[in-house]
Amino acid sequence: MEYILDVQNIHTFIGQYHILQGVDVRVPKGSITALLGRNGAGKTTTLKSIIGLTPPREGKVIYEGKEVQDMRSFDIASKGIGFVPEHRAIFRDLTVEENLKIAERVKGDYLRKKEFIFDLFPDLKRLMALSGTALSGGQQQMLAIARALVADNHLLLIDEPSEGLAPVIIEHMMKAIRLLSKDSTIVLVEQNFLVASQLAEYYVIIEEGRSVQAGSMKDLANDKAAIHRYLGAA
Amino acid sequence: MTQQINSRLSAFFSTHRAALFTLLVLILLPFIVGLMDGESPMMVFANESGNSKFAQGLAIEIFILALYALSFDLIFGITGMLSFGHSMFFGVGAYLTGIAIKTFGLSLPATLGLVFIAAIVQAILFGLVLPRVKGITFALVTLGLGSVFHIVVMSSELGPYTGADVGLQGVIVPAFISPANERLRFYFIALTILILVYLIYKRFVDSPTGRVCVAIRENEGRARMLGYNTFYFKLAALTLSSLTAALAGFMHTLYQPIVSPNIAGMGFTVTALLIILIGGVGTLSGALVGAVVYRLLDFGLRRYIGESASFISGAVYVLFVLFIPFGIVGTWKMKSLQIKQGWQRIQKLFG
Repeated sequence: MEYILDVQNIHTFIGQYHILQGVDVRVPKGSITALLGRNGAGKTTTLKSIIGLTPPREGKVIYEGKEVQDMRSFDIASKGIGFVPEHRAIFRDLTVEENLKIAERVKGDYLRKKEFIFDLFPDLKRLMALSGTALSGGQQQMLAIARALVADNHLLLIDEPSEGLAPVIIEHMMKAIRLLSKDSTIVLVEQNFLVASQLAEYYVIIEEGRSVQAGSMKDLANDKAAIHRYLGAA
Repeated sequence: MTQQINSRLSAFFSTHRAALFTLLVLILLPFIVGLMDGESPMMVFANESGNSKFAQGLAIEIFILALYALSFDLIFGITGMLSFGHSMFFGVGAYLTGIAIKTFGLSLPATLGLVFIAAIVQAILFGLVLPRVKGITFALVTLGLGSVFHIVVMSSELGPYTGADVGLQGVIVPAFISPANERLRFYFIALTILILVYLIYKRFVDSPTGRVCVAIRENEGRARMLGYNTFYFKLAALTLSSLTAALAGFMHTLYQPIVSPNIAGMGFTVTALLIILIGGVGTLSGALVGAVVYRLLDFGLRRYIGESASFISGAVYVLFVLFIPFGIVGTWKMKSLQIKQGWQRIQKLFG
């Protein structure tokens, strides 16, 4: 199996706190891999460590065969990793169109991709001239994901896409993520196990800053004891 | 083809109605004031003293302040860098102009060239600290740099050049631009420079680089996650801002008989901050409106109240920030959108 991302035993500190104490994540190319775990387990920090926002002090992050753990975040991003942070992190002072244009890595990216993006999120086409503050939560989340699609990203890191959204919007979001996975590999952090299990083919469970279990999502769905022990779900 | 040009022109005039009207008023202002004072346009052209000449002088001060405030709005309002050493940008332009002309006898173009080189150097100096500090730490480091500059210009060792605490005096301005004899020409030059700089700033803010600057203000981490090395964008904003503030300082020295050391102090940075708070932070046009309100309020209060004007103006600014927190232009933009939406709702209601 070919792996696009191989995170090997990373240790990350935030200030004096030792947040990640040995996390391994292997992501097969073209797959959707979910990072699972309880609140505060270290899932978001793992994504941030991959993209270089909280660089790991120890361990390796290998992306497309090259070590990137010592690179700066903008250099890592420009290698083709798109990050969709939690809390719908759009630029609220910019319009929808400006939010998309700012994500261009090569001039013309937006024009090339806009048809695909608006097919995926038709609402955004209607809202192009509105500023980020005027959008609903679901629309902001769509925009945050759409922004990661403007440039040619081979790997998308998506943090809590369903957080705080209505069930109808979550359905739409799931369809969009499935469509995206045809062109990109996706690493997903998701609290909602039902959503994660329907989307992802692989999983990694993170518990108190350590990766404790990984494998195929089909196997985990049948392992009720693990689900109960690590995720608190029945 | 002609129809297309006509429709474009009509769209342009309809969109920029207010700006074009303001521009027309500013072009005619010396003559309108002259006519109100019983002076013919020919007398205004001849730069004879009177209310028109006085109004031109006040307007020139406002234009220079507006240029300076625009430069501060670019780094603070647009890019989100709070610099407490901004007066240094202005001061370097002002002092260097005075020293180059008075001590070294340089021509005006050579002096301007020197001022621009110094502006770029000081932007790089501020830029050196950028990767290491941000937020309040950046504000404090720039305060330190600005304070060092203030101490240097006040020092007695440099007194022969800077005039120390008395200020730089006796700069001989070329006759063709002399504010005493050719004030109308100075007025139009200052107005033209302000308009050009404003248009350049608008273009900058609407460009991809400007959008990244806005993104940095909102969340620098997010901008970096998109693959932007934010350092270069902040340095670009700092350099443009430094060039503009130094240009304002250059004009200040040409216009004012004395370059006071106060323009290099922390108080003058606060002036820029006040102006954009009054006009609207991050709006650009707010810097222009704020400069008008600030200078006219200061002038009016000093004229009618005298020494206690600073106390009253301080109270007015506090009330301003409390009750119009988004500034005049910021509040107008918000309210006009609400009025527009309300009007659309009413139209919808009645079919």
